[in-house]
Amino acid sequence: MLCEKCNKKKATVFYNENINGKVRSFNLCADCAKAMRDAGELEDISASFSSFASPFLSLEDSFFNDFFSLPFHTTGGLNAPSAPKKCPLCGATLSDISTTGKVGCAKCYETFADELEGPIQSAHGKTGHIGRIARGHRAKKEKADRISALKKQLKEAINDEKFEEAASLRDQIHALEGNA
Amino acid sequence: MAWYQVPGNEQDIVISTRVRFARNLSEYPFPSRLDAAGAKEIINKVGQVLEDNGFTKTDFSDISHTAAVSLVEKHYVSPEFVRESLPHALYLNEPCNLSVMLCEEDHIRLQCILPGLALQDAYKGACKVEQLLDERFDLAFDDKLGYLTHCPTNLGTAMRASVMLFLPATTMAGRMEALAARLNQLGLTVRGLYGEGSGSDGYLYQVSNQVTLGVTEEGTLRKLEDVVHQIIDNERKLRQSVSGRDLDLLTDRVLRAEGTLKYAHALTSAEFLKLAAEVRLGVAMGIIKDVKVEALTALLIEAMPATLTMNTEPTPKTEGERDLARAMLVREKLSGNP
Repeated sequence: MLCEKCNKKKATVFYNENINGKVRSFNLCADCAKAMRDAGELEDISASFSSFASPFLSLEDSFFNDFFSLPFHTTGGLNAPSAPKKCPLCGATLSDISTTGKVGCAKCYETFADELEGPIQSAHGKTGHIGRIARGHRAKKEKADRISALKKQLKEAINDEKFEEAASLRDQIHALEGNA
Repeated sequence: MAWYQVPGNEQDIVISTRVRFARNLSEYPFPSRLDAAGAKEIINKVGQVLEDNGFTKTDFSDISHTAAVSLVEKHYVSPEFVRESLPHALYLNEPCNLSVMLCEEDHIRLQCILPGLALQDAYKGACKVEQLLDERFDLAFDDKLGYLTHCPTNLGTAMRASVMLFLPATTMAGRMEALAARLNQLGLTVRGLYGEGSGSDGYLYQVSNQVTLGVTEEGTLRKLEDVVHQIIDNERKLRQSVSGRDLDLLTDRVLRAEGTLKYAHALTSAEFLKLAAEVRLGVAMGIIKDVKVEALTALLIEAMPATLTMNTEPTPKTEGERDLARAMLVREKLSGNP
């Protein structure tokens, strides 16, 4: 994703604020974020704006220097009185995650899905896992793929007016969906 | 025999290849939010499966600092693992070149390390252990994010494939920074000898994948393999391009280094690393003919402080004694290779 201010550099800072219901969000490169902060256009943040550019800087370092040093995706900006959201499994808050640079448990990824989405996409440049699948999820994926293939065949069968075949395909789909 | 004691492919340039997977058990918090009891439970559960499958346990709460650092030098554990405060243990199957760290940054960090360039074999080795654990445990996984890891930078495949390269000509030609920048654009990274944050000694660098989400394991390996082959070709061309006065100067330097390594009475590890790099280059370029590259690779591990201390009788007690033991080991290894 490119910085929405300069449209040249990669956006590595995701700034969201909600002050008294007034919502603003920006996807910025580190330079523009710094410039906007210096100009007082963003909440004053004592963040270190390191850059992705240094080849010897590890991804991990830049990931958290860039993202978690900012009050991104907060609800209420810096003056908000609301209690921070906590992971129901490990009790981690977004502030814990930004301090340590690590999430607390697998459930945190679900709890803070919205807040983590931008940084994860930016760090990897891509979203959507396409690699190996854990055993417990393999059957689910295979079933979803099978249903999708059968639905395609069903559509073709209907188009070709092969109604007996279509009925059989529909039954197979129902049987698979019934086991979902 | 351990990985560093046997020859490997492209060993004039590639020291070793590693493939590691990070995995977590879905029902436990990640290590930074895990208590000692939880860590012990994980070690007992996962460790039992590993012990039943030919792995030997090394409990890090019960190990000397020297023994722990020696395992870092052999690249079986990370430097961070030694500093870990939670209960943590290594499970090692040295003949199969497999090691599993339990309760490092993630619950499970398993790896296969092989000599030379062997990405596919290292991947297959790591996959065997991964499958073993996948069959028995509920691993933390999400359809969109892949394997869930303590640090979001490892999400997806949670696989890190790395190749340790010896790049003296590329370094001397001042091309490392440009290479690093280029690799960065390709989603790869260059690090020093012992991984993240470590410097590069003896012209040794680790090239590894950086991106793990939205990519397949096979695609990552293919890309890394292609890039490594390009780096190897460039390094070889640069080595071959040295001629005339430059070649005389280089020849003088590597032969002096060989002389010092073969006759020194005391060697510090820094001096050893520097001279061994010169000699390795001399061997690779055919300037030195009576030293084998594998002997130099073995020394890269065996002459390091902790491993040297562990293997020397009587145990050297001071740095000075260690330097004498190192010189003796190097003399034996280098003169013993026809």
